[in-house]
Amino acid sequence: MIGFLRSAWLLARKDLRMFFRDRTGMLLGFLLPVALVTVFGFVMKSIMGADGDEAMPRVRLWVADLDGSEESRGLVAALRVASTVSLQPEAEQEGLEPESLEEAQEWVAEGKNNAHHVLVIPQGYGADVAAGSVPRLEIARDPGRPMESRLVSIGVMQAFMQQTEGRLWPALMGRSMEGAGMDPASAQTLVGFMESARQLMAGVFAAADEPAGADAGGSPRAAPDLTDFTAWMSPATFVDVQRGDRPSTLTLQLAQVVAGMTVMMLMFGLMAVASTLIEEREKGTLRRLFLAPLERESILFSKFLLAAVIGAMQLVVLLTYGELVFRVNMFRDPVTLAILMLSTVAAVTSFGMLVASWARTQKQAEGLSTLLILVMSALGGAWFPVQYFEGSLPAVARVAMRCTLTHWSMSGFQGMLWYERPWTDSATLAALGVLWSFALAAGAMSWMLFRRRHLSR
Amino acid sequence: MLALFKAMASVPPNAALLEVSELSYAYDGRPAVCGISFDIRAGEIFGFLGPNGAGKTTTILCIAGLLGAWTGGIRMNGGDFAPFRRAADRARLGVVPQELALYEELTGRENLELFGRLYGLAGTALGAAVTRALALSGLEERAADLVKKYSGGMKRRLNLALGDLHRPGLLLLDEPTVGVDPQSRNHIFEALRGLRAEGRTILYTTHYMEEAQKLCDRVAVIHEGRIIGSGTAAELAQQVESPGATLEDVFLKLTGRKLRDE
Repeated sequence: MIGFLRSAWLLARKDLRMFFRDRTGMLLGFLLPVALVTVFGFVMKSIMGADGDEAMPRVRLWVADLDGSEESRGLVAALRVASTVSLQPEAEQEGLEPESLEEAQEWVAEGKNNAHHVLVIPQGYGADVAAGSVPRLEIARDPGRPMESRLVSIGVMQAFMQQTEGRLWPALMGRSMEGAGMDPASAQTLVGFMESARQLMAGVFAAADEPAGADAGGSPRAAPDLTDFTAWMSPATFVDVQRGDRPSTLTLQLAQVVAGMTVMMLMFGLMAVASTLIEEREKGTLRRLFLAPLERESILFSKFLLAAVIGAMQLVVLLTYGELVFRVNMFRDPVTLAILMLSTVAAVTSFGMLVASWARTQKQAEGLSTLLILVMSALGGAWFPVQYFEGSLPAVARVAMRCTLTHWSMSGFQGMLWYERPWTDSATLAALGVLWSFALAAGAMSWMLFRRRHLSR
Repeated sequence: MLALFKAMASVPPNAALLEVSELSYAYDGRPAVCGISFDIRAGEIFGFLGPNGAGKTTTILCIAGLLGAWTGGIRMNGGDFAPFRRAADRARLGVVPQELALYEELTGRENLELFGRLYGLAGTALGAAVTRALALSGLEERAADLVKKYSGGMKRRLNLALGDLHRPGLLLLDEPTVGVDPQSRNHIFEALRGLRAEGRTILYTTHYMEEAQKLCDRVAVIHEGRIIGSGTAAELAQQVESPGATLEDVFLKLTGRKLRDE
């Protein structure tokens, strides 16, 4: 075993020496991915925006019911079935919630229970609703999550309207207008029109719910985008709590772009490293190594070592660059980051070795690896956050998505960057487990292919 | 390594160092070597002659352990010899492949040091081996240059030096002078004569008859996977009933004048 590792290290060291000696190639190996991350990062940031309207998973919303009235319990029940939020605590976890607005703010500030939005239902909520006045709901939130805030507003609005059966709509409208700067007298005048406005809105909603093409002309008619309006009308006001450890500019999209481009570029980089095996075969040096008194499998293992070292360096460069340029708070949890990096490098390296062991020529390897990397990047979410559209994808696409190592690597990085999951989190552990399974399976297959191709003639 | 070298050195001159019997190998069912037998005596340069595609390189690959699915027998010093399976047996051989199998992004010295370490050399033994190999190849002055800056002849000489770096008991050379200038070719000949003078044993394949005539003590002519003649140049001339004929005359008589396209 020592001889095996010694030979592998001697060969990996030789490759590293050659890698760093070729300064142009080395710079391209690092600069090209950095350039691509930059271009893709800014392009996708521009396309998706910091507060884009793309579909989102349900947003986790903690709730603190300080009122405990029938009305407040009704609001909580309505929130549980709202389409845009996932209410915390779960029904069976009742009792695990903040007990004041101040405590809610502390939760958000400290990231306790991964809370980034906490709705506080104040004492007197039930009495206000019963009296026909709009109660003051407050949401302690992390302002770095504008898109999620909007979904929370919509969810709260939906639940509030459902619970009050729309009775407080005109009052809510009036208060919103006042809040928007209208003087109280004018706002009160407008309240007289509220009932007709409500009917108009009801009509708009009904029209939007009609099947496309159902109008007289038979042409599809787009439903009006009411999400901004609905958020504006929300009975809740936000209390911003700046997270000490999260940059205010971080968005889910940015985390997506940085992680996605990094993983994709890593795959391209390691493919090039793995293909040095084919280069050795084509130049005849592989045969010369086979003549030496070493365990021949150590040659393959040396390429694993080489790719792992270079891959780790590339990841550090790319992630540091992402941190400097896009401020994604990459190094908030260095242990989880290191574990994710190691796991991704292991999976990508094994994948590269599998292609290099299978391919007979450099051209074959380049063609196949480029195709696979692009498909895996697209399916796995390195380009766009396809996981958010997962529900609308056909079953085959969902399965294909999960078969890519990109998907699992992205899940891990995104979980760490955005959801702030530590490596011990079950979702992160699942992603790590799949990545290592992928690494072991691809590694074993490349080992067998290597033996069959070179050591069984 | 030293013990192995001593064991090699202890083989008496003219005793068979390597014995090949009924060796056969086929590529995907297509026979390349068909039951050939020969032996190489300690301290001699044994020439293995044949036209392109005759089976010379396949024979070397079988002996060197790069091919393992052959039939027949190969014995070294009278004992079982299985370099395909046993790393220790590979250490008893030095191989100079036909292609220039060098790391061009490394210097000549770094190439030698890398393979020296892979052959188990370290410390002063490695330093001495590298110095000797540089002298053998005449590359002392250019040892620190990257191999990609070497001429074709220099690469050929380094290729030879790498094969002999660990002073193997048997050195296998597969057409080591292909495409080199006369000066480098002459240097290689001189180096090989020097090795023979040290009592080293060499298997030398070529299709240049003048090389074989100049260098080899005995030769075997292989054609279409079979040995069709063997012995000293004089013995071969007698075999074809042309006393005084050159090795080239003998070769053409044995293998015919038809062009070889493979």
